[in-house]
Amino acid sequence: MRISRKWLSQYMDLSDLSLEELAEKITAAGFEVEGTEILGQGTGLVIGQVLTCEPHPDSDHLHVTTVDTGDEVLNIVCGAPNVAAGQKVIVARPGARLPGGEIKAGKIRGVESCGMICALFELGVDRHLLCQEQIDGIEILPQDAPVGHEDPLEYLGYRDEILEIGLTPNRSDCLAAFNMAAEAGAILNRPVTLPAFEGAADEGKPTDAICRTETEGCSLFMEKVIGSVTIKPSPKWMQELLRASGMHSINNVVDISNIVMLETGQPMHFYDIDAIAGHEITVKDGFRESYTALDGVAYQLEPQDLVITNQGRPIGIAGIMGGEDSKILDTTRGLIIECALFDHVRIRNTARRLNLNTEASQRYQKGIEPLAAQKAMDRAVQLLKEYADATDIEATVIAGSDGYKPREITCTLEEINHRLGTDFKLEEVVDVLERLHFSPVTENGIIRVTIPSCRTDMEGMADVSEEVIRLLGYDRLPSTLPEMPMTEGKLDPMQRMTRMTRTMFSELGFQEALTYTLVSTEKKEEAVLTSGDAIELASPLSEQRRWIRTGILPSLLEAAAYNRSRKVKDIALFEISDIETATSRTRQLAFVIEGNLQNSEWTHVALPADFYTAKGILEAWLKRQGIDEARIRFKADAISDLFHPYRSARILVGRDIIGVAGEIHPSRGKERTVMAEVDMTRVLKLKKSKVRFKPVSKYPAVDRDIALVLKQDVPAAAVKETVLRQGRLDKETVIRDVQIFDVYQGEHVAEDEKSLALRLVFQSDKKTLTDDEIGSVMDKVLSALEKEHSAKLRS
Amino acid sequence: MDEMQKLQQTALEEISQAATTADLNDLRVRYLGKKGSVQALMKNMKSLPAAEKPAYGQKVNGLKQELQTAMDARKEMLEKAELDRRIAGEKIDVTLPGRQPAAGSLHPLTLVQQELEDLFVGLGYQVIEGPEVVEDLYCFERANIPRDHPARDMQDSLYIDPEHLLRTHTTALQMKVLEEEAPRDIKVICPGKVYRRDDDDATHSHQFTQMEGLVIGEHISLADLKGTLEFLARKMFGQDREIRFRPSYFPFTEPSVEVDVTCHVCGGKGCPTCKHTGWIEILGAGEVHPHVLEMAGYDPAKAQGFAFGVGIERVAMLKYGIDDIRHFYTNDKRFASMFGRFE
Repeated sequence: MRISRKWLSQYMDLSDLSLEELAEKITAAGFEVEGTEILGQGTGLVIGQVLTCEPHPDSDHLHVTTVDTGDEVLNIVCGAPNVAAGQKVIVARPGARLPGGEIKAGKIRGVESCGMICALFELGVDRHLLCQEQIDGIEILPQDAPVGHEDPLEYLGYRDEILEIGLTPNRSDCLAAFNMAAEAGAILNRPVTLPAFEGAADEGKPTDAICRTETEGCSLFMEKVIGSVTIKPSPKWMQELLRASGMHSINNVVDISNIVMLETGQPMHFYDIDAIAGHEITVKDGFRESYTALDGVAYQLEPQDLVITNQGRPIGIAGIMGGEDSKILDTTRGLIIECALFDHVRIRNTARRLNLNTEASQRYQKGIEPLAAQKAMDRAVQLLKEYADATDIEATVIAGSDGYKPREITCTLEEINHRLGTDFKLEEVVDVLERLHFSPVTENGIIRVTIPSCRTDMEGMADVSEEVIRLLGYDRLPSTLPEMPMTEGKLDPMQRMTRMTRTMFSELGFQEALTYTLVSTEKKEEAVLTSGDAIELASPLSEQRRWIRTGILPSLLEAAAYNRSRKVKDIALFEISDIETATSRTRQLAFVIEGNLQNSEWTHVALPADFYTAKGILEAWLKRQGIDEARIRFKADAISDLFHPYRSARILVGRDIIGVAGEIHPSRGKERTVMAEVDMTRVLKLKKSKVRFKPVSKYPAVDRDIALVLKQDVPAAAVKETVLRQGRLDKETVIRDVQIFDVYQGEHVAEDEKSLALRLVFQSDKKTLTDDEIGSVMDKVLSALEKEHSAKLRS
Repeated sequence: MDEMQKLQQTALEEISQAATTADLNDLRVRYLGKKGSVQALMKNMKSLPAAEKPAYGQKVNGLKQELQTAMDARKEMLEKAELDRRIAGEKIDVTLPGRQPAAGSLHPLTLVQQELEDLFVGLGYQVIEGPEVVEDLYCFERANIPRDHPARDMQDSLYIDPEHLLRTHTTALQMKVLEEEAPRDIKVICPGKVYRRDDDDATHSHQFTQMEGLVIGEHISLADLKGTLEFLARKMFGQDREIRFRPSYFPFTEPSVEVDVTCHVCGGKGCPTCKHTGWIEILGAGEVHPHVLEMAGYDPAKAQGFAFGVGIERVAMLKYGIDDIRHFYTNDKRFASMFGRFE
């Protein structure tokens, strides 16, 4: 909200506080001053009268003027198009300091100029407070402005400072200037005198006005007929307050409705008495028709909208905007006042649907205190009588009720100190509560407070404790650490696995990625390793963000493409993300490699983006998780359209499918890309062997290399398994490892065959193996290879 | 005699001129081998008178010794020269690039989150994670956010159906923890992704990361919150940081505060980062609202505690001077590579 120092100063003495001090104190108490504005500023100003005004001899737009400033006549060159002899104007004399700099005497195109005739924006007045004429030219003062007056800004009411206060949602009561003033008084600990107006609307002669509410959306509706008013300009103070609040003055009656809204927070509507047939007003809903409001725009009403009607015909959109037909004109002779409480959710929905944010709708949406309507009615009648010659006033007609019950809260000093961790004394606490007009009563250690009607946020002791610390100051809050039984701080196994995985991948040269959870339909369809149906948002932000993804890879490929299109080579991305479907929740790991993973170009050492790089990384990662290598299997599988049908595999540990890996389908792009996604939750659940010490054999290991020729489609893993199955001697496994060190196809090998070179590592824990012993095992191995795979030794 | 002298002269001459160790080996065979010239001289001894034999034998042995020494010296010299030549030929350009293991990187949000987790684990907190699709009940109702609050409109949060939505804050998880733990003490932090109905721009992201803390016990006061957050501020922004509380409003805490930390760029003197105030807002916090405790099954007369929530993106942006929140989600390698080192 905007509130000016002048406004606050009507109610309390602020003369000892600078704008900065005021802002700081209010902010510290929970009313964040988000900005301050000095309405108009400048020194060395004076009101002058233009005596003569001639065109400049050497310019087509400048004027040469003589201006009487009371004690001297100044020669001033002026560029404003609207300057003319006889006008009263604001003159900045040489030496004047304006927001744009200091004014100096000098020659402009050869003509002496001793000062400047000012426009208001040149004196720092925000352009949004001015009309186009005031922005295009100099300010023209009323003809009765006193020449020689040394403070034209004061004369015009622009000597003011504005506080822009960001209200928290619980304190929208302070949208009302009266409440804000009371709050400021409590914060600054100084007396506040607000205007007395209670009961001002009580009087009134019998009335035949009818007001009704026929919807739950309006709990209270007050109507009052003011038979006679005089429409005229409003008093200067009212115009100034409106201007400081960013509103324009229209006439005394309209200004009063706005001023009362600013003062009490209660929006009101004044209707021209002649436009309301039978002085009947009813609030209804259930309309479905077009309605043209005050701004001339036709709005489509829906059944949930609250509508003000006269004789069954809409005359306003409740709480938002009135109608053209019933608005106050210069010819208006009397008024009907509307002052009502509307349901804030319904006002919000209507205002949003119609995209109509008015001063009134904003206030209704934030909630209005139950007694505001009565206060506003009283104040409005008081002002109308004083500034609009209101007579012929009829009694107020009321439909519904405010439903107000005063609220009491009881608490103890100990409770407050215990919650805050403070050591405040009873006198301090009681003093704060008195400043807030909570009328504290202390009895047997119990503090009982009565909450003012506007403080709808106050519910219990916790709220009272906040008021205490807020006004006594957070700088008095000690700094301590929780005292409670020792607890073990720790990460759970999944969190530790996640961290270990992140470290491993980043050390391998991968960049950790973070992509959005919400994806398009197309990306959703591309997900692999999905463990349930995708969840769709009821009303997505956009088509790009319609689904909760069921896999990471499509997003990661998009991130890779982003980098590729920016000429980044050698892309290696990984991401760990929780994946939620309609039926499951897992943590998944995905990675993508494009180009080379490790690339030292001029030395020609690199890990290429191919299936085997991905497989090796996954095997190493699984082994680090405690999965025995013998349990890991890669089973050829085309997986999906995204993958190369012959360079992809499912990853199994025992019988569990834990992930997929493969090269991208060649139709997806020229870049060779390899990718994988695994289900970490499943891997975590797998049985793992314990880390245990086993003695290292004292006897030497012996290598035997063999080269086999076999059919191309015999999987290497099957060959290896065959070898390992034959590796026993004297109840001991002596083939300790089988390494494949070469695969060859081409010359000297038949077209449908390949040569596989194996290194068998023999070792015993009991003795040094002899050539004969190794030979006997080798014979078993070779015959099994022949039998199972038709493999022959390459000659 | 002449013959021996001649042999000596020739041999020494040839040894001194041997160009390679291979040449020298040939010479060794020729002169000192079993069929070599020196051995041949020995054969001459047979024909000498017995009296002369010892002297002759001594002389031949002397010659053998002399040639052996000369050859050894020459060999050592040649070997050294050969090594020198080889070494000279192995000169490399040490300014060519090294074979660097490719530098990977952790995401900056991971770095910040892990740092915060480590801090609180050290203080005895447990790290709790939970689902992102949550019930409206835990996201709002239990957090004391009334049904007519704008965030609960289907149009304002990312709802799946009237009862379920993508969590708008990790408070949704805290409310679940409260319900599960009541009436026991609690000391947890809850990091995770959260979602809001915002269009993505420099300062808004429909997805971002939060970390909330929750401590419940018999005497956990607002002053304890202040002490705890001082720890946090100093860990994240430097040991000499101060914090201050400003009153604020959150439905689930009362009192509620915004927490500012003295600017880590200017130390509190005022600079563009802190908009010349010396302070930077880093998080929101407060004492858990009695209604919230009650709804979860606590007796608010016997249990109280604090909660705080920090935006990981905000901390990372402040800490590293990042100017646009979208950088975190574009995964540009050039951005990511700035966060690959120890700090």
